[in-house]
Amino acid sequence: MRSTLRVRVARVLGGGALIAALLLPAATPTTAADPVILRVGTTQDLDSLNPYATLLVVGYEAFQLSYNLLVDFGPDRWSLPGFADRWERAADGHSWTFHIREGMTWSDGEPATAEDACFSWQLAIDAIADGGAGSLGAGYLDPTLDDAAVTKVECPDATTMIATTDDASDRILQTYLPIIPKHIWGEEDHTSIGEATFEPTLVGSGPYQAVEWQTGQFVRFQRNPSYWGTQGYADEIDIIIYKTEDTMVQALKAGELDYAHGPNAEQLNALQSEPNIATVAGSANGWTQLAFNTYGTGTDKTIADGGPSTPALLDPAFRDALGYAVDHATLVERVLGGYGDVGTTMVPPVLTQWHVEPTNQRTFDIELAKQKLDAAGYALNGSGERLDKAGNPIKLRLLMPDSDSNYPNAAQFVADWYGQLGIGVTTQVLDSATLGEIVLPPEAGDTYKADYDIELWGWSGNVDPNGLMAIFKCDAIGSSSDSQYCNQTFDDLYDQQLVAASNEDRKAILTQMQNIIYDDAPYDILYYDANLEAYRTDRFAGWQNQPTANGTPFFTYSTLNYTRLTNAVAAPSAEATAAPSGEAAPTAAATPDAGEPAASSSNTTLIIAIVVIVAVLAVGLVLYSRRRRTAGADEE
Amino acid sequence: MGGRYLARRGAQALLTIFAIVVLNFVLFRMMPGSPERVLLRNPYLTQAKIEQVRKQWGLDKPLIPDQLVAYTTSTLSGDLGYSLKFRGTPVTDVIGQRFWPTILLIGFAEAIAIVVGLAVGAYAGWHRGGVGDRIGSGISLVLYSMPYFVIGMPLIIIFASSFGWFPTSGMLTVGATYPGLVDRLIDFGRHLALPLATVSLGLIGGYSILMRSSIIETRSEDYVTTARAKGLTDRRILRSHAFPNALLPMVTIIAINLGYVVAGAITAEVVFNWPGLGTLTVDALSARDYPILEGVFLLLSITVVLANLAADLVYGLLDPRVRA
Repeated sequence: MRSTLRVRVARVLGGGALIAALLLPAATPTTAADPVILRVGTTQDLDSLNPYATLLVVGYEAFQLSYNLLVDFGPDRWSLPGFADRWERAADGHSWTFHIREGMTWSDGEPATAEDACFSWQLAIDAIADGGAGSLGAGYLDPTLDDAAVTKVECPDATTMIATTDDASDRILQTYLPIIPKHIWGEEDHTSIGEATFEPTLVGSGPYQAVEWQTGQFVRFQRNPSYWGTQGYADEIDIIIYKTEDTMVQALKAGELDYAHGPNAEQLNALQSEPNIATVAGSANGWTQLAFNTYGTGTDKTIADGGPSTPALLDPAFRDALGYAVDHATLVERVLGGYGDVGTTMVPPVLTQWHVEPTNQRTFDIELAKQKLDAAGYALNGSGERLDKAGNPIKLRLLMPDSDSNYPNAAQFVADWYGQLGIGVTTQVLDSATLGEIVLPPEAGDTYKADYDIELWGWSGNVDPNGLMAIFKCDAIGSSSDSQYCNQTFDDLYDQQLVAASNEDRKAILTQMQNIIYDDAPYDILYYDANLEAYRTDRFAGWQNQPTANGTPFFTYSTLNYTRLTNAVAAPSAEATAAPSGEAAPTAAATPDAGEPAASSSNTTLIIAIVVIVAVLAVGLVLYSRRRRTAGADEE
Repeated sequence: MGGRYLARRGAQALLTIFAIVVLNFVLFRMMPGSPERVLLRNPYLTQAKIEQVRKQWGLDKPLIPDQLVAYTTSTLSGDLGYSLKFRGTPVTDVIGQRFWPTILLIGFAEAIAIVVGLAVGAYAGWHRGGVGDRIGSGISLVLYSMPYFVIGMPLIIIFASSFGWFPTSGMLTVGATYPGLVDRLIDFGRHLALPLATVSLGLIGGYSILMRSSIIETRSEDYVTTARAKGLTDRRILRSHAFPNALLPMVTIIAINLGYVVAGAITAEVVFNWPGLGTLTVDALSARDYPILEGVFLLLSITVVLANLAADLVYGLLDPRVRA
């Protein structure tokens, strides 16, 4: 038995030697024929390659690479040809004729025609007609068609699509529906497409086709040779999923990544001093908010053992006063590291066409806040506590999810400022699923109690502000509302702006809506967090931002920037053998003389690895030989 | 060791697995929060949509008996369902992609940690108070108290970012094409080196300390005194008498530890972006992805129960007194 143990140990050591042998650095020969791979890093965990099922920015990026929209978004979000190469609007404004580009094929070789476009849009039309439950998949894409009020599509021939719409605006050009191949998806209807069991076959007409997805690890896209547009320089795009920004940033610095999506502020600052790395802080289309629980406003409904802890929260004058106690500029500076914009209305400033500054803008003034609270009937008692109109001290519970590391910092500031007003604040971090359930009112189900006072969370929108405004509608209570806010005037204005006759008319209505929400203050929008990105400039060049002024290269509304990249290395012929060493066996620096550093580092590793192997083998030999020697002289 | 003993232990194992699986099923679904609200958070979400999705995902029926029966019957027939988070992907695919990376990382790390940790611990315990003991115990304590990411991040910064000897993260170079299998193994080995070092170092400390105290206990046993009286050398006594007896509790500890190791390697997986079951479990938990959680816990419970079964058998092999 003892010798068996020794033999076992020796065997394990032998195995260890084999492992050590495998650790010899790869002296993989590289050739100029290696594919050019663009590696993009993100911490968002892709949830689906089905465009209708995904709800993440990385998911939209993925489907925008594989598929085309009918009309694409250009450098400043103006319309560009997509699946359709030109379009006209009829004189009465209620029908649009799209000319579908000729000669397109899908990545599997089948012809791509207007029939596919009609099929794709018809799915959404059927979903909309079916009502709320019938919406496609996760229900995020077909509302864009609904907003455009498209009622019918028909395709009289292979290159023509005619869409009939009730809407007088040009919102139809922002419809965010991918054109999917009818010959692959034709068996599905609008209900089966969204099911968790539906696995779409990956065939598209976009510049890069998704070919492999390892959940939680990466998605690989390969060049679609039959893409109708300009072919990009990269042959393959890999979106690599990281669990933490720290590892992603290390990979970017080591040259294993070309693009990092979402480093935090400290990392971004540190990357600015790295050679061959550029950083971008793009204006975000979204915000972080304090949402006040206003349940019962106007209805006098209460929730047993739940609801807001004080009726003060239902009073707009109270909420407005609180808004003067929050220093939004300090939050941007200290919580976001300076990367972001001060929060005002619920339409982010990056949507320059629709955002307005509020007419009655609040300032940061603690004394003024105290005066306003006194004037509104919320006085201090002898111990410095602020009382509500029933004479109870106001103590607010501030809840936040664990999904963003900035939230606890912001909450600390808010608790301190409100504390100066005499209002007690307790903060709590919860996991997203639990918090999502806590804020639900009984309208969502009998067991829900909306047992919170303030919810610190955020939203991000898309090209059209409708999504971010829909949160404030009465029917959002029980689904996407964080504040149980209900204002019929607001709802009426929302419906009006959907059918506004012109952009100017719509802007006027949106101005009203933004001011209503700002003045009523069901939310205190703290800031618009910036999109932080960093990328290497030594392998790929031609990086552009979308929008050009304050956007980012990737993870925007179109993927054309992927095709606009070029080779950063100036003289391709001289560096053809050395530069590609970055792809197959990534080394620390993919510079023209990458051969030398790789050789010297591999020499050192080689020596160390040999030493380790020798040491392990020596120990193994010693053990084995001792077994032999003592086998005869056994103990009694 | 009779066939009856094996059969009895096997039946016990099966029963344990079944109990664990049923219990986990109920516990997960009793947690606050539901997957459709987490995974579908978007401004256009409506009540009707939520209800439709709940029905699609089988969550609208009562927990017991409907959901439980549906789950039990489908699992017994080998159908683990589809992930709710990774929509369109079967659970077996999601778990399958993580299975071998976890086994390889944990397996090699345990092997190295067992060999080195037990050796260091035995030496330190036998020469208690000596220089070797002080150094060995000191290092072991330091390693034992360092979480994996505290070991791992410096390794990345030094060996991957600065020296460039190893890649910073991942299991293979994404998108790479390999001329042959050996190149693929080499690339895998390079990626495995740092996470392996991290997890091994983290485990060595613990095993070494435990082995040390086990050896110290064995040293004071009567048979060791007898062996000394007979004139055997110190080294022979350690190797042939003390070590095998001290090994017995370690076998149990290693087996019990296995479940914790798979779970605890999460921090190493996060730091190195290693596609393991630990991070899959944590992510699935946040998303309330019930099918994935049930699948992972089925796998983990089978693994742990089998490991303990194996430990029982090994124990029986090592110690003749235990054999039935």
